[in-house]
Amino acid sequence: MSRRSMFWARAGVALALFALAAPASAIPAFARKYGTSCLTCHTVYPKLTPFGEAFRRNGYRFPGVDSDYVKQETVALGQEANKKTFPDSVWPGSIPGSLPVAIGANGFLRVHPDKTASTPRAGNGTQFTFDDLVGEMQLWAGAALDDTITLWGEATFASDGAGIEHAQMLFNDLVGPKHAVNLYVGRGFPNIGSFGPHSSYIADQMVPNAPVAAVYGLSEDPFMLVENYNGVEVAGVVAGRAAYNFGVNQGKSSGFASEDWYGHLGFKLGGMRLDGEGSTGAEDPLHPWAENAVTLDLFAYHANEHFPDPNAPDALFANNVSFTVGGAVRAQYGSAELDLGYYHQTHNHLSPTLDAEGATVLGEVKADVLYGELSYVVFPWMVPALRVESISLSPAGGTGVTDWHIMPGVAFLIRPNLKVVVVGNFESADGFPVDASGSPLKWQGGSADWGSFVMAPRPTALPATKQQNLESVAIMAAWAL
Amino acid sequence: MIDPARRVARLAFVAVACALASAASAQGGTIAGKVEVTPPKYLEETVVYLKSVAGTYKPQTHAIDQKAMKFVPHLMVVTQGDTVKFENHDNVVHNVYSPDNEGYNLGSFKQNENRSYTFSKAGVYTQLCSVHPEMLAYVFVGQNPYAAAVDKKGHYSIKNVPPGSYQLAVWNAHLKGPEKSVTVTAGKTVEENLVVKR
Repeated sequence: MSRRSMFWARAGVALALFALAAPASAIPAFARKYGTSCLTCHTVYPKLTPFGEAFRRNGYRFPGVDSDYVKQETVALGQEANKKTFPDSVWPGSIPGSLPVAIGANGFLRVHPDKTASTPRAGNGTQFTFDDLVGEMQLWAGAALDDTITLWGEATFASDGAGIEHAQMLFNDLVGPKHAVNLYVGRGFPNIGSFGPHSSYIADQMVPNAPVAAVYGLSEDPFMLVENYNGVEVAGVVAGRAAYNFGVNQGKSSGFASEDWYGHLGFKLGGMRLDGEGSTGAEDPLHPWAENAVTLDLFAYHANEHFPDPNAPDALFANNVSFTVGGAVRAQYGSAELDLGYYHQTHNHLSPTLDAEGATVLGEVKADVLYGELSYVVFPWMVPALRVESISLSPAGGTGVTDWHIMPGVAFLIRPNLKVVVVGNFESADGFPVDASGSPLKWQGGSADWGSFVMAPRPTALPATKQQNLESVAIMAAWAL
Repeated sequence: MIDPARRVARLAFVAVACALASAASAQGGTIAGKVEVTPPKYLEETVVYLKSVAGTYKPQTHAIDQKAMKFVPHLMVVTQGDTVKFENHDNVVHNVYSPDNEGYNLGSFKQNENRSYTFSKAGVYTQLCSVHPEMLAYVFVGQNPYAAAVDKKGHYSIKNVPPGSYQLAVWNAHLKGPEKSVTVTAGKTVEENLVVKR
């Protein structure tokens, strides 16, 4: 296998691992803790209802006094009265009476109606593949030490390896009004929106990723907006209607000083408050997902990533600095929901270009990512949705190219903790990014491994060749208990 | 002239009537009802009591055991001036202390030993064990003996309350309840239901 082939194989594995690793949110440990159904917080999991979003935003705590709602036995590690004897005694806490863990699995079957599409071409022309039917297993943990400190963790096990996806300590209600100032420490998603990262019915995440450094063949582990990083985040909800997050993390700068930071502001009009206070459930118990509301989000993200510079003879590390600004809106009208989002990303060292002396150097690339998802909860167990997303890349001095991905699908709940999603994947590109030699490169990124950007140029394709593919019809299944 | 037998019968009737009236007066009345607690898991830590009843009450002695690493009972209702004997029937050392009100620490004591404390002030005293922080009990010390812990269904009954008007209150370790004015009549039961919540 050539070095180039080896690289793409590794990059493929890395991206597949990323995509597989992302599904998390549905955690039956909480169902056991509160003695409540998954449907209290979810529709077709991991999509959250307004109440579930408030629970997540509150640091995995019910509005009001969280412990009032806990039905599971707890073991006291001290008593409330010990607060009076502090510092002569340890500040009291408790642990769940049984291990607060849950397990789950997911995978998908892919059908390729067109054997000449990108994915079947990469897979020996196969028309059906069960390769990913058992994609991964997950182990989740979620618990409270008291009414303010909570823990959240997720480990994944796949044939390619295991990893810690999340491990966070959430210190809630630190100062000021309830929910105003919270501190999250550990490994987790940077919150760049008011909603959970997995708030899509037919994709794995709402905000698509643009792994630009991988597209240009520079990194097997590229920076992406929606990924797990080690860091700290301050988050809060003010007056029930405004949400904020800002944080710093290590990003993709392992071994280097991190300079990654981000911030988000959100505002919700109508519907349930962002912190769920004043309500112990949905306004309409028959339609707990439904409300009339509009939520606006803005965010900025500054990131660094390091990778060997292909143009440096001694393989010095190149430092690509990216800056992203974006926004999103979620409009809900009863059972209908429309999510729209956009972000603009500038990378300073990514695309191969020639400097004044004719040497190949890494130049600037601008990425523009658009996405939208329209869904309607027909029944609590059936949600059709249409999702559209695009990535545009504009290298300095080069030609801009765009790839569109259209995903019509239906999400089904077979049981509250067993789901099936059927989704079609259509892709249309007006060209391809190019490498240092001017050869077209494949597209990468998106929002789900069962429906990501996979468009690869045909052997005869030129960088400006337009190409459309019905990539696949995927049937994704997942369970959790 | 009255028949002697009828006279005896009349006297007997009057005597029985007087005795019954006297007994009713001594018994006083009863306040009973149900407490609805939300969330219900905090029900067992609920006491209904009269806030102030004039009188002096004979001190009594009660016992709380420490058994299987638990205080038994979990909640005890006593009257100020009463003494509680804390026993240890575990084969491990226990300690009893309370940070509430005047606070006290009875030290550590071994199996089959005990320590006593006399509660001279009304209030609620959390009972803790410094050796086993998970152990918890409450001693509710009333100003008067007219107090009752609720049963598992939330029912309570305060008996032998002297006739009169009082403030009925409810204590819960986590929640708040209302106060109500009640008037007690000898030999009768007043029903008062209470709602306790956050």
